[in-house]
Amino acid sequence: MELKNIDHLFRHHSGKMVSVLTRIFGLNHLEIIEDAVQDTFIKASISWRAQQPEHPEAWLTKAAKNRVIDIFRKLQTEKNQIPNLTHGTQAIAINELFLDTEIEDAQLRMIFAACHPELDARDRISFALKTVSGFSIKEISSALLTKEETIKKRLTRARKAIKKADLKFNIPQGKMLQDRLESVMEVLYLIFNEGFHSNSKQQLIRTDLCGEAMRLCKLLLKRDTMRIPEVYALLALMCFHSARLDAKINSENELLDLKHQDRSLWHFPLIELGNIMMNKAVDTDDFSCYHFEAAIAAEHLKAKSFENTNWDKLLYWYESLNTLQPTPSHVLTMAVICMQKEDLHKADYYFKQIEPDVFAQRTYLYYAAKADYFYATGKMKEALVYIDHALKTVNNSLERNFLEKKKASWVNQK
Amino acid sequence: MKNFMMIFSGADYAALGLSPEELQGRMGKWFAWGNKMEQAGVLRGGEALTPQIRRIVGENRTVTDLASAEVKEIIGGYYTVEAKDFDAVQDIAQDFPDYDLGGTVEIREIMVFDK
Repeated sequence: MELKNIDHLFRHHSGKMVSVLTRIFGLNHLEIIEDAVQDTFIKASISWRAQQPEHPEAWLTKAAKNRVIDIFRKLQTEKNQIPNLTHGTQAIAINELFLDTEIEDAQLRMIFAACHPELDARDRISFALKTVSGFSIKEISSALLTKEETIKKRLTRARKAIKKADLKFNIPQGKMLQDRLESVMEVLYLIFNEGFHSNSKQQLIRTDLCGEAMRLCKLLLKRDTMRIPEVYALLALMCFHSARLDAKINSENELLDLKHQDRSLWHFPLIELGNIMMNKAVDTDDFSCYHFEAAIAAEHLKAKSFENTNWDKLLYWYESLNTLQPTPSHVLTMAVICMQKEDLHKADYYFKQIEPDVFAQRTYLYYAAKADYFYATGKMKEALVYIDHALKTVNNSLERNFLEKKKASWVNQK
Repeated sequence: MKNFMMIFSGADYAALGLSPEELQGRMGKWFAWGNKMEQAGVLRGGEALTPQIRRIVGENRTVTDLASAEVKEIIGGYYTVEAKDFDAVQDIAQDFPDYDLGGTVEIREIMVFDK
C-alpha cells in the first residue's frame, strides 16, 4: 500500500496531535508537545519504510495517545504543574479526546489560540502555520519569503505572549465569539493571500498555503455557532480565487494577468463550491468585505472572456467594498476598470484621489496602471516614462518580465 | 552471486529538523526503493537503528552514552542485498533517498568462509 493518495497525511496529523495533546497538557507545555509529536513522525517515517500500517491514521492516533504517557513522565521529572491523568475517570476522558469530533474541537481551540488578539498580528500567521498546520520553520520561511531566523523569533514571541497572557485553550462563546472569529478569519485570509499572491517560483507553495487556509475555513464551518454569513463568504472567496490558481502561471512559469489566462484551466468544481457557499453567505443583508471581494472574484469568473467582463458590475462591487473599507488599492483598481470601460475621464477622476507613495512596496502597480492610462490617451512619451518608473520599483521577477514585455511592445509601435 | 551490505550514515532526520511533510516524502522514497529491490529479488534483509548510542571503549571498558548530535556520522541502518559485484550494488544504491541531506552509503561485501 502506498500513501500517495493520502496527501499531507503527516502534516495534517501533526496539527491534530499537537492540538489534542495541548488540550490535555495546556498551552504552557507546547514545546514539549511539539517535540514529542515530531519524534512520532520521525519514527513513523522510518518504521513505515518497509511496511506501512493498514490504517495509517489509526496508527498515528494511537501513537499520539502513547505520547500522553511520555509527556506526562517528562513533566513529572521536571516537577512541573501537571494535570492528574492517572485516575480512572480522567483516563477515560483522555481516550474520548482522541475521537474524531474531539480532535476537530481541539484543532478549533488551537486556531483560536493562534489568532488570539494577545499575539502580535505578524506572529499569528507563523504560529498558526506551525501549530495548526504542521509546517516546519523552514517551510514557513519559504512560504512567507521571510528569513528562518525571523520566523523563529516570531514563534518564540508568540509562545511568550501566550504564557504571559495565560491564554486558555478554549473556543470563545457568545458575544466574544464574533470578535475572535473576526481575527481568525483575518489570519486565514492572510494565509490564503500569502499563497495566492506569492512571489515564490514554486507553484507548490501557492497551493499549499491556499489549500491550508481553505481547510481551516471548512473546519470553522463544521460548528453551528460559526456558520455565519461572513465565514461562508470567506470560503466562497477562497474557492473563487483558488479556481484560478493553475491558470495564473504559464508553462514558462510566467505570471499571467486575467486578460491572458487560459480560462479553460479554471477549476470548475471549486467555482461550484464557491457558488454554494455564496448562496449561504447572502442569507442576510449583512454584507462584509469578504462578501464584496467574493462578488468581485465571481464577476471575473462569470465572464466568458476578459473582454466580456461586466465592468459596470465590477465597478459597482468595488465602490461598495471601498465604502465599507476605503483603501487606495481599491481606488487604483477602479481606475483600471474605468480604462477597461474606455471611460478615461472617470479613470482620471480615480487617479487624482491617490498618490504613488501610499502603495509602498507595490508602487509599481500604480506606475504600471498610470502608464496604461497614458498609453490609452495616446501619450506615448509619458507612458514610457511611467512604465520605466514601474520597472524601477518592481521587485517581483514575474511581474518585471510582464512589464518588460509590455514596454517592448510599445517601443515597437513607436 | 555474493551478499553485500549497504550501510547508511549521516542524514539524521531528528537533527535535521525535517517537517512532517518532508518526512512523509522521504518515507515514500524509501518505500519505493525497498519495493524496487524486492521486486528485483535482490533484497535479503535490513534494519533501521534508533539514534541512541552506548559506546564501550578500551581495556577499562569505558562506557559513554551518546546522542546522535555528538557523533559525526551516525549509522542509521543497513540493507543486505544479493548482487554480482560492487558495481551492481552501486547501481542499486543510486536510489538511496538521502544523498541530498548529506547521507552516505557504504558498500561492504559480506565475507564467506570456506566450509
